[in-house]
Amino acid sequence: MPRPRLTRRSLLQAAALTGASFFTGCGSPGGETGRLDAVWGRPGTTPGKLQKPRAITIDQHDNLYIVDVTPRISVFTPDGEYVRGWQTPKFDNGKPSGLSFSRDGNLLVADTHCARVLCYTPDGKLLENRTIGGIAGEKPGEFSCVTDCLEDSQGNYYVSEYGEWDRIQKFTPARKYVSQWGGHGSQPGQFLRPQKMDIDDQDQIWVTDACNHRVQVFDVRGTEPKPVTTWGAEGSSPGQLRYPYDILLDGQGHVYLCEFGNHRVQKFTLAGDLIGWWGKNGRGDGELDQPWGITQDSQGRMYVLDTYNHRVQRFWL
Amino acid sequence: MFGLQVGFDRPQWLLALILLPILWAVSFRSLAGLGPYRRLFALGFRTLVLVLMVLALAEVQLKRISDRVTVMYLLDQSESIPKITREAMLKYVMEDVAKHRRKGDLQNASEDKAGVIIFGREATIEYPPFADEIRAVGSGQLDTLFQMRTDATNIAAALKLAQASFPEDTAKRIVLVTDGQENLGDAKTIASTLVENGIGIDVVPIRLSATSEVAIEKIALPADIRRGQEFQTRVVLENFKQPVKDKDNKIFDTGEVTGKVTITRSVGGEQALLYENTETLKPGKNAISFRDKIETPAGYIYRATFTPNDASQDLMQQNNSATAFTHVRGKARVLMIVDSDTPGEFDRLADSLGKKDIEVVKMLSNQLYTSLAELQAYDCVVLANVPRANGVLAANVEDTASFTDDQISMLVRNTEQFGSGLVMIGGPNSFGAGGWSNTELEKAMPVDFQIKNAKVRAVGALAMMMHASEIAQGNYWQKVIGIEALKVLGPMDYCGVAHWDNFSGKEDWLWRDKKTGLGLAQVGTSQKSMMAKLDRMQPGDMPDFEPAMMMTYKELFKCPASVKHAIIISDGDPSPPGASVNLFKKAKIKVSTVAVGAHGTIEDTRLRGIAESTGGKFYRATNPKALPRIFQIEARRVARPLVKEDQNGIPVGIVDRRHEMVGGIEGEPPPIKGFVLTQVKENPLVEVIMRAGAMKDAGPENTTILARWIYGAGKTAVLTTDAGQRWATPWQDGWESYDKLYTQIIRDVMRPVNEQADYSIATDVKDGKVRVVVTALKKDGEFLNFLDMSAVGTGPKMENISMQMRQEAPGRYVGEMPASEAGSYLLAINPGKGPDGKQQPPLLTGVNVPYSAEFRNLETNKALIETLAKFSPKGGQPGIEMPDFSANQTAIDRLIGAVDTFRRTLPKAMSSTDIWPLILLLAAGIFLVDVAIRRITIHFYWVAPALAYGWGRLMQRPLEPVRTEAMERLRSKKAAVTSQLDERRASARFEPQVDADAGGPQRELGDVLQDATGGSSNAPQQQSLHPPPTAAAGPEQDTYTERLMAAKKKARKDMGG
Repeated sequence: MPRPRLTRRSLLQAAALTGASFFTGCGSPGGETGRLDAVWGRPGTTPGKLQKPRAITIDQHDNLYIVDVTPRISVFTPDGEYVRGWQTPKFDNGKPSGLSFSRDGNLLVADTHCARVLCYTPDGKLLENRTIGGIAGEKPGEFSCVTDCLEDSQGNYYVSEYGEWDRIQKFTPARKYVSQWGGHGSQPGQFLRPQKMDIDDQDQIWVTDACNHRVQVFDVRGTEPKPVTTWGAEGSSPGQLRYPYDILLDGQGHVYLCEFGNHRVQKFTLAGDLIGWWGKNGRGDGELDQPWGITQDSQGRMYVLDTYNHRVQRFWL
Repeated sequence: MFGLQVGFDRPQWLLALILLPILWAVSFRSLAGLGPYRRLFALGFRTLVLVLMVLALAEVQLKRISDRVTVMYLLDQSESIPKITREAMLKYVMEDVAKHRRKGDLQNASEDKAGVIIFGREATIEYPPFADEIRAVGSGQLDTLFQMRTDATNIAAALKLAQASFPEDTAKRIVLVTDGQENLGDAKTIASTLVENGIGIDVVPIRLSATSEVAIEKIALPADIRRGQEFQTRVVLENFKQPVKDKDNKIFDTGEVTGKVTITRSVGGEQALLYENTETLKPGKNAISFRDKIETPAGYIYRATFTPNDASQDLMQQNNSATAFTHVRGKARVLMIVDSDTPGEFDRLADSLGKKDIEVVKMLSNQLYTSLAELQAYDCVVLANVPRANGVLAANVEDTASFTDDQISMLVRNTEQFGSGLVMIGGPNSFGAGGWSNTELEKAMPVDFQIKNAKVRAVGALAMMMHASEIAQGNYWQKVIGIEALKVLGPMDYCGVAHWDNFSGKEDWLWRDKKTGLGLAQVGTSQKSMMAKLDRMQPGDMPDFEPAMMMTYKELFKCPASVKHAIIISDGDPSPPGASVNLFKKAKIKVSTVAVGAHGTIEDTRLRGIAESTGGKFYRATNPKALPRIFQIEARRVARPLVKEDQNGIPVGIVDRRHEMVGGIEGEPPPIKGFVLTQVKENPLVEVIMRAGAMKDAGPENTTILARWIYGAGKTAVLTTDAGQRWATPWQDGWESYDKLYTQIIRDVMRPVNEQADYSIATDVKDGKVRVVVTALKKDGEFLNFLDMSAVGTGPKMENISMQMRQEAPGRYVGEMPASEAGSYLLAINPGKGPDGKQQPPLLTGVNVPYSAEFRNLETNKALIETLAKFSPKGGQPGIEMPDFSANQTAIDRLIGAVDTFRRTLPKAMSSTDIWPLILLLAAGIFLVDVAIRRITIHFYWVAPALAYGWGRLMQRPLEPVRTEAMERLRSKKAAVTSQLDERRASARFEPQVDADAGGPQRELGDVLQDATGGSSNAPQQQSLHPPPTAAAGPEQDTYTERLMAAKKKARKDMGG
């Protein structure tokens, strides 16, 4: 078997590569297969600044809605220009940690420690008659720590929560309790902190089962939710997960997971096969510190909430 | 340009640039062979290399000049300023910052910064300097105020803290809001240092009006009173209000203030009203006096209070009361401190001592003494099976009771300096088992409470799990709790802290044992480094309890400690644990949980559930200051192995029969059922009097039952078994020496009485000084002269104080010392040797300074304010004394409008970055270019034709051939000659043996040249006449390679032949 030889050509190639990397920088910042597009946001409590932002969503005009721990819901353009903002009414016990849009264009806010889901117009007007829950407890229709809310094609609402009862509860369009599933545990169908949900065009709900480090999918078209698939294993290698805190379906057959524990975003096929990832721990551009949320605009650009760096990073993946 | 400047750290190296002319001179000559252009380039690059190297040696820096300003607001929160004014300060700051701060834009970090420091006796950062507006969170109150004492003004501390907290890259200004009533530190000195560093100081004065104020100056009464002796008590009040006259110079307000004066006397928690009357106080000093008599010997505290009829006549309440103490000597008195959970436990012992003429005063551990002065009334203090912190059964932390560090210090000082006895009597809540390890009390005792014997498995393991809290100060209190726990643990104990590591994104241990790599490490000598790590800890937002609990369980399970315990401190919002709870339960490891700033009842339930499932205890802490008690309680759980019990009886032997404590006791004491293991101090002063019989797993140094030693001016003793409730029952039930033993133990350590002479002591406080006068008489009434008298004692903060006494008259000795702090000053006066030539016991006295100087000086210190504002920062303009601060909105608006606190009148900040490594790298790169220019020839002959060609193409002109026939011929001939010459050289070198004739027709060089220059027209044809070389051709037609091959073959053949 021929041994590799150190030739003049190989030396020259190595020197050329070293020189090129010296002058061009050491690879693309932040990850393996993604590309950083923009970074914006600065820490602070005044309008336009962010203090540990914890949830992000986007409207049909590509305006970003972000809630932080102050707790304010702030609206930004895709380039980070502040548009408007408002505060949730009560936050003595804790701050909201989930945002999503209903099909009629209103903002659903998971008011985590107030055991309810608030509904706002995009301008920030609270629609009190559309609030879901409000009573802390374990009975049907009551909540522990609410993490997220979404709406299916039939107008039903699904609210995820964790605590003593890690579960998802279903409500009618009139916000009446229908059913629930889940439970505290690691068996299929059970949850340990169902942190975020997304729904596909077949009314399948995709749940980040954060402390089980996995994704679970449920078909909610029938009267009872049917488990469809579950995938994910704990770890920090590419393809493994550690505390996935947000999930995004791009409608093109891809799933994006934002990992709180691994400080990165991973892109998978619907079957859970890894396609690429972006991000690593740090404070520089393209580096993340315990990200909580992710969303995508109409151009396909991804936005990740770089929570402990108090900013938003936009990238392609 | 771009706010950047170049500077040098070692500019002297720039002198090396004088080498440039030498370089040029030498190089110009040596590079002559390169031609004019290359020489010029080489010289240029060589110059550049030298310049860059000189710059690198001079450590060139890039300096960035910043136009940003940081303003730190220093808010005086001392109590000399009315509360309403103090509360309005934050509002002023918020509005001032909002109006004047340069905001830049959201994309660039070019904003001004603002921060807030509040100060009183100390200073703390309320808002660190930050590029944002100041916003009140929650109630709008100052968050850090609760940590701070506000009974003094320490402007210097605030200035120092501000200097330390300024960011480097901005100009710096301090806005000081104060009444200038400085009574701690020296603001002027610190301010002069600040301005030297370019920090500007603006001052916002607060004007105080002292015209409506009444203060009690003092209560005067004798320090030592004889039983039944009548004495005079005098209360001095000062009315600061002055008479007011109208325009016609007629008095329309006399300045008199009317109010109720009350004087009470308290002893042992009981209060008696001595005087209550409505008095009209004239402007200036007023004295109220009455006569009193005490029949019962004890220590008494007198308190005088003034309550004005009209509150507006007396704005400050803190100076409306004063206390003083005195004591009446009688028979021996003992203070017995018992656990408030079991108050009657030592009643049998108290009765027994009472029968022997020792008066016992019982004090419950939840109603402890608050000053050292209270302890002076007793000759001995007994800690009777009392833990450092009780409340294991309490529902809330606030319901628990504990000895504070100060109270422990008082106990020790009471013995060390004032000669009182101190006895610790056992029981399962005493010594190490009572959480007293590593306290000042342990140092004062003849035994250590921690066991150093490896055979005794009295080792505890404590694992703490920390989770970030969302409440303000939550994380701070987590650190406080952790540090308190570490203090309580002994060197043999194990301690670990599990937390969420933000970097790795998973749970981890805060420290690891260097040898084992485990997170539960033996405290040993690492206590201080562990505390430092706890202090730096930033607990992360742990998403899930389970992995951290599992990690904790695994290590606790493996740990060799005999008692294991875990504590979770959290706001309760991580995902609840699963299987780990059952593992803890199965391994009988209790988990206590502490809800710090929990989100609500659900999170409470979660934490309570963990505690209840494992047999631990749940604490909900609403008052953060109560939190350290949790660990004092919890640490007792890991100290349980120190208790040694045996219902069959543990034999006890008397080691030293000659000792006074066991004098007159015949035979050995009956066996006991238990005691607490301790470790005898390795000190010759320690006298072990009784010891338990030999044991398998404990050496004699651990089985002390009774020991005593002298500690400072007093004695301390330990009795590691109890008084008969649980362990010493055989002693209590039927042992005739029971009363004798306990009485002799107490009497032996009691404070000695001076019987050699009569001393009378008078004390007084005036102008911030304590004055003590001692009159010394012999028993026969003659003066005692030439005594070597001195005094030591303890100040209000348990600090050591000392005072020299000098003789002023026959038998009269006087000493003086400063007393700036409010509180009790206790002194033990050492009278030296008595008439018999022996050292005499100390004389005790004390004075009480009723309130801080903060409440004595009631006017704005204008001079200090003006001085501070006039300081001029180096390179900038002086500060401004702004308009007066007042709590109303109009005044705040006026203040904000008057001065731009972010004005650009300060020296601009400059930050520097070393760039010499880059310069050095650049020099190395250019040096390579320099070498390349000298070694590689690059000619430029092609430039002119190329330009001509380009120009022609540009102008679309056909290029004219410039060749002539002569030139063409010359080139052809030259090519032919070159070819022939090459062939000849090759033939001459590689075929030396070939015969010259065999070479065919050869032409001389001269002939060839002649053909070329002679204009022979057949030269090209002649060249073409030569046939092309073929393989069959003779040697003269062979190519160079073929000839080379042939020569090689011939050589081999010759060598082979």
